Amino acid sequence: MNEKKKISYMEKKMSRQYFLMVLPGFIIFTIGLIVPLVLAVRYSFTSWDGMSAEKPFVAFQNYVDLIKDPEFRNAWWFTLRFTIWNTIIQNVVALLFAVALDSGIKAQKVYRTVLFVPCLISALVVGFVWLKMFSNVLPALNDVLGTNINFLLFGEKRTVLRGLLIANNWQWIGYWMLIYLAGLQSVPGDLHEAAKVDGAGPVSRFINVTLPMLAPAITICVVGITTGSLKVYDLLVSSTKGGPGRASTSVIYQTYTTAINGRQYGYGCAMSVTLVLVLLMVAMVQVKGLKKKEVQV
Amino acid sequence: MKKKSLLSLLLATCMTAGLLAGCGNSEAPAEEAPAAETPAEESGDAEAEAPAAESSSGEAVTLTVLAGQSTTDAGIEDMIDEALAAKYPEVTLEWECVDWGNDFQPKMQQYMQSGLPDIMIGKAQDVATYAPQGILGEIDASYLDKGLDAARENVTIDGKTYGLVYNALYQGVYYNKTMFAENGWEVPKTQEDLQAIIDDCNAKGITPFASHMVDTWSIGNVTMQFMMNDVFNNDPTWGDKFRAGEVSFSEDEAAQTAYTYNKLIFDNTYPETFSTEQTDCDAKMVLGEAAMKVSGSWSIQNFLDIDESFDFGIFPFPNQTGDSKLIFEPNITIMTSAATEHQDAVNKVLDVLTSDKELAVEILDYTKTASMLKDVTPTFTNPSQADIDAYAADGMIVDVTLGNNQLVWGGFQEENAKDIAAWLQGDESFEDCLKASDGRVDASSAN
Repeated sequence: MNEKKKISYMEKKMSRQYFLMVLPGFIIFTIGLIVPLVLAVRYSFTSWDGMSAEKPFVAFQNYVDLIKDPEFRNAWWFTLRFTIWNTIIQNVVALLFAVALDSGIKAQKVYRTVLFVPCLISALVVGFVWLKMFSNVLPALNDVLGTNINFLLFGEKRTVLRGLLIANNWQWIGYWMLIYLAGLQSVPGDLHEAAKVDGAGPVSRFINVTLPMLAPAITICVVGITTGSLKVYDLLVSSTKGGPGRASTSVIYQTYTTAINGRQYGYGCAMSVTLVLVLLMVAMVQVKGLKKKEVQV
Repeated sequence: MKKKSLLSLLLATCMTAGLLAGCGNSEAPAEEAPAAETPAEESGDAEAEAPAAESSSGEAVTLTVLAGQSTTDAGIEDMIDEALAAKYPEVTLEWECVDWGNDFQPKMQQYMQSGLPDIMIGKAQDVATYAPQGILGEIDASYLDKGLDAARENVTIDGKTYGLVYNALYQGVYYNKTMFAENGWEVPKTQEDLQAIIDDCNAKGITPFASHMVDTWSIGNVTMQFMMNDVFNNDPTWGDKFRAGEVSFSEDEAAQTAYTYNKLIFDNTYPETFSTEQTDCDAKMVLGEAAMKVSGSWSIQNFLDIDESFDFGIFPFPNQTGDSKLIFEPNITIMTSAATEHQDAVNKVLDVLTSDKELAVEILDYTKTASMLKDVTPTFTNPSQADIDAYAADGMIVDVTLGNNQLVWGGFQEENAKDIAAWLQGDESFEDCLKASDGRVDASSAN
């Protein structure tokens, strides 16, 4: 009886401690995320301009307008292409780099640092650096080499996505590479040994042993890259400014210019609500799908 | 166990306290503002010139200032601080300097929810946006009287003036005087004259126009210049009629012509315009790689920084009727909060800005702009000043605030410029570009 009482007392005490530990985070999360989200949903049903006191209720009109809005559709089309290409390129290249660094090459730490450094730079600076690269530095190479390569990737609709992918991948590949590298280094060596004894070659070992063991890292990288790309904004501000025309306007960029510069706060909120829903859906589907493929040792 | 509880309680308290501190008001109370050491007496006869401001002795006050700056303006805050410290050491300014084009409006929207700064520095067109919201304070006539009368018209609403216009920009076509003289080109007055120069340029392998279309704002800016001379020149209420449904971009030939001038520039500039920034563009102009540039006074700073002996002039972009006027834009405009608790201190700042002529000249020389204060003339050598004076003497100058007030920048001109860029690049038809502008009619007005 006494033992039971003691356990119940301990449990209560532990619960209180957990509650106390969770409380600050919960308050911050509520004030910083839940409240603005609820407010955004509320404003999305109004035609508020963000300045006046009146917030006229328009029900679902903003959402109806969104469906018909070609600029919003264009923004989604650009964002989706940017996300898909980023997810493929960054995962594949980061994994390849990680495998290369894990193979015991010389000066591994130097390569690791060099590849990682760009992700420490602000995306705003990265955008500006690549704007200068494409418009000044690289074209000067043409003069030196006597070639005629088109480096003005930010200057045309058909090439702007390519230019942005180069800038974004240059910045982030090193970061995701580190996660893959950590995953690779945690694969137990005896699994490889066992596969070797069973006659598996390097490719077979990579596909049947390494990749399944890397599944948790793949989940992190795929979800991180996808959600990060869907939210691209700062890179665009300092490089293409959403142009030329609207060729590189992302959903966030469109939302910001509509809500703030265009003084259509209610409409902009409707845009951001749709983005949040898509982000949630994508993350849920990816996490669920990829979790199934994860294996435990 | 007790220790653990205590530790977790302490941690939770610290984090909650940190959160509350973060959410709290960071505004420094007036008493906390450090008093500058410079004695007020050093400022000479200043007090006599400041009828509405209190004497320099008084409680230390820190005023918040939101400054929406153009590229040329960054740095003037230090000059103002210095002049203010000399005359009113008890007043300190806490500056928040942002880019006017991108960040001023978002910041204003933010502050309209949480409380405006004591002073806001924007452009004359901001008065039409914010004064009807009832948030701007009326500027005392004793300060306005020190400015030019022409500066008041577009910052006055219902007989009350809410902005103090400090300086002005001129916009038009900057041209390389040496190149014009060498090639025997006269300043063009009509489209035919301009086309003849363009043709001659192309024949001689000279790029007619320098441009930087990667900055969409530059497309929006030149389009309003064109609109002023081809549309608003003939119909000063075109924007109001547009909202009333009487005119539209799709049907109005003059508005369409204004849009098509962008194509004239695009077809006669270097191919990398959508990858060229303003500084590079201005450098090309100075280095003689292009003959003309449709721009504004903000380019002068770059021109003279690159080569202080660069000889250039300015003329209005020719319209269809050959009676184009040079564009004049009231620039730095000081607005005050209607709800400020430190009106006396605000008045002291206005006093320094309007009565300290040395400060005014320093700012004008730095920004390479024209004065909107009486009896203040900048001392920098502006090669285009003779042209400006000539147009002013002939009454051939028009205030762009007329157009900017009717068709606002944020959400309208800015967005239209993106469609124009898409049209120039062949990604959108001209008809769609015009339709897109028409579709934005609700966003064309500030109110």
